[in-house]
Amino acid sequence: MRELLKKLSLAFGPSGCEEYVRDIIASEIEPYLDGAELIKDHTGNLIYHRPGKGKRLLLNAHMDEVGFMVTEVTDGGLLCFGNVGGMEPLILSSKRVISENGIVGVIGSKAVHLLSAEERDKPTLPRDMRIDIGADTKAEAEALCPVGTYFTFLSDYVEYGNNLIKCKALDDRLGCAILCQIIKDICNEKIDVQHDLYIAFTCREELGYSSAFGVTDRIKPDYAVVVESKAVADVSGVSDDKKVCTLGDGVIVSFADKSTIYDRDLIKYIMDLCKEKDIKYQVNKFISGGNDSAHIQRSGGGTKVAVLSLASRYIHSPSDVIHGEDFENAYKTVLAIVSDKGFEPSCLCTISN
Amino acid sequence: MFELIKKLMLTPSVSGREDKIREVITKEVSPYVDDITVDNLGNLIVRKRGEGKRVMLCAHMDEIGFFVTFITSDGYIKVSPVGGINSLSSAYTEVVSERGVCGVLVPESAKDLPKVEEMYIDIGAKTKKQAESKVELGDFFVARPNVKKLMNQRYIGRPFDDRIACAVLIEALKKVKGSKNDLYFVFSTQEEVGGRGAKAAAYNIAPDIGLAVDVTMTGDKPGSKPMAVKLGGGCTIKIKDSSVISNPQLVKEMKKIAEDKKIKYQSEMLVAGGTDAAPIQIAGKGAKVSAISIPSAYIHSNCEMIDMGDVKEAVRLAVALCEEL
Repeated sequence: MRELLKKLSLAFGPSGCEEYVRDIIASEIEPYLDGAELIKDHTGNLIYHRPGKGKRLLLNAHMDEVGFMVTEVTDGGLLCFGNVGGMEPLILSSKRVISENGIVGVIGSKAVHLLSAEERDKPTLPRDMRIDIGADTKAEAEALCPVGTYFTFLSDYVEYGNNLIKCKALDDRLGCAILCQIIKDICNEKIDVQHDLYIAFTCREELGYSSAFGVTDRIKPDYAVVVESKAVADVSGVSDDKKVCTLGDGVIVSFADKSTIYDRDLIKYIMDLCKEKDIKYQVNKFISGGNDSAHIQRSGGGTKVAVLSLASRYIHSPSDVIHGEDFENAYKTVLAIVSDKGFEPSCLCTISN
Repeated sequence: MFELIKKLMLTPSVSGREDKIREVITKEVSPYVDDITVDNLGNLIVRKRGEGKRVMLCAHMDEIGFFVTFITSDGYIKVSPVGGINSLSSAYTEVVSERGVCGVLVPESAKDLPKVEEMYIDIGAKTKKQAESKVELGDFFVARPNVKKLMNQRYIGRPFDDRIACAVLIEALKKVKGSKNDLYFVFSTQEEVGGRGAKAAAYNIAPDIGLAVDVTMTGDKPGSKPMAVKLGGGCTIKIKDSSVISNPQLVKEMKKIAEDKKIKYQSEMLVAGGTDAAPIQIAGKGAKVSAISIPSAYIHSNCEMIDMGDVKEAVRLAVALCEEL
């Protein structure tokens, strides 16, 4: 699973340009379909469907990552750009980036000795930064990277320290890797699936216009589980009540974030499964962030939803950092959910007089 | 009706945690209706069948409050707001949890008006262990529910938003007779965090007409923003708020019905805020929407104020609309 995580995380796939990641996932799982259906839909989603008689379960991970898009080419051959997805301006300066067609560049901003006292106290905004691809003229730069060209961080996959993993785009290639492994497990008869199981790899989550919306409306699952990463602040200088979660303390089962209040019964069901299978999990200790769950919960007639997240430091940077043990625990939790006979909500009812 | 209002107000249920209030309402309405459904988002959908138009009346069951996010090593409880919390009103107030644990919400600094994240709840625990025996992460707290009668049939308390409208819907569905319309009384979830429940309910029901029933601000208190609505001036028919422009034809019909039945109403142009009317309008294939509102002063404080005269007019208007639209 680590090899696949590495391959997926290094792949190029900012929001709206998911085809490379989608191709990797498709070629990875095609040998393991074993009668299941693989659908590529009109909004770019890749959806695995294994029909079953049980509850209809949707598992979801998004394929896209944060990145940049060229908005203008200057006379000197530098590239003006806009962010694709949310990034902290502070982290951008002097980072290496790479375009869809493999052109390497560096993000530059005004030299420190030219900054006024006021400017030094404030982060430089992306509109005042440029991507420098080493071109001498506007014509040269435009030929290589015309307006509309995508860039992402250029980063390495590194395993370091006490079982930590560092790369760009671990958000949410880790979810993609886990769900690919589940598909392989099903084929290898490691799991006896009773669910009517859908696994969706979705697009444009980082922009907030996620393609998960249409998927849910068409599938109408009984319940859905999103596999994601979650920004943590468990480094020095942050008080314990604002750390959100802790790297290495297990998969996060959130009760709420900024965009979704998760189904309480479904969360309890997942926590009980974790306890039963002795899987390390934690509950979020601060309300922040959001993910595809919001779209899944409120698409169409509504869906019961939960999210399994991995604590991630320095998220949306060239160096997302996760803990290898959390990765294993998240995988085990998804495995437990898929293998189980299914979640029975307590309050769904229809009474007719 | 006051007993019903009191029962609804004294059942704390914040957004996403509406199970208790849903039970109370289900018990109250079940003898009077044809079908009762609870959907995936927890909306309670109560139907009185008919051959005519599909009319959806919607009052939200949830209220604003706090989620427990952290318990400190000394046994203090940190919380996050659920919905639009007014921190001025929340500081130094008595709060109660879903398990009945009482405490006080205290700002860490007495100088500046802090965000909720810079407040803590003191439940009297001396240690983390003591606090953890009473409270779990994800539990909710609310400012203590209460209701009192003042002069001029005015009442203060919380949460009138939106239990007063739940009471209006319950009274209306009990009273409505001989309507040809296919009536859906929806008690929705998660309105205070952005109309999340009503959107799913409206998608499933696909109503021709959607009417939110909610509280609205008034313009007659010292420092109020300019607004024509007065407390005690009758229920209102919504023309516009920050999230919705009501269907003008529907508003015209509503006004005509109100005038024919001599129902005291005011036209409502709400300057800030929205209701479930917005998600109902744009869910699925869309619906004609407006809202019936109950004027309320001091919304989202611990002492919201309503005038019972307005509430009675709101019930009459809801019944008339069910029968005449």
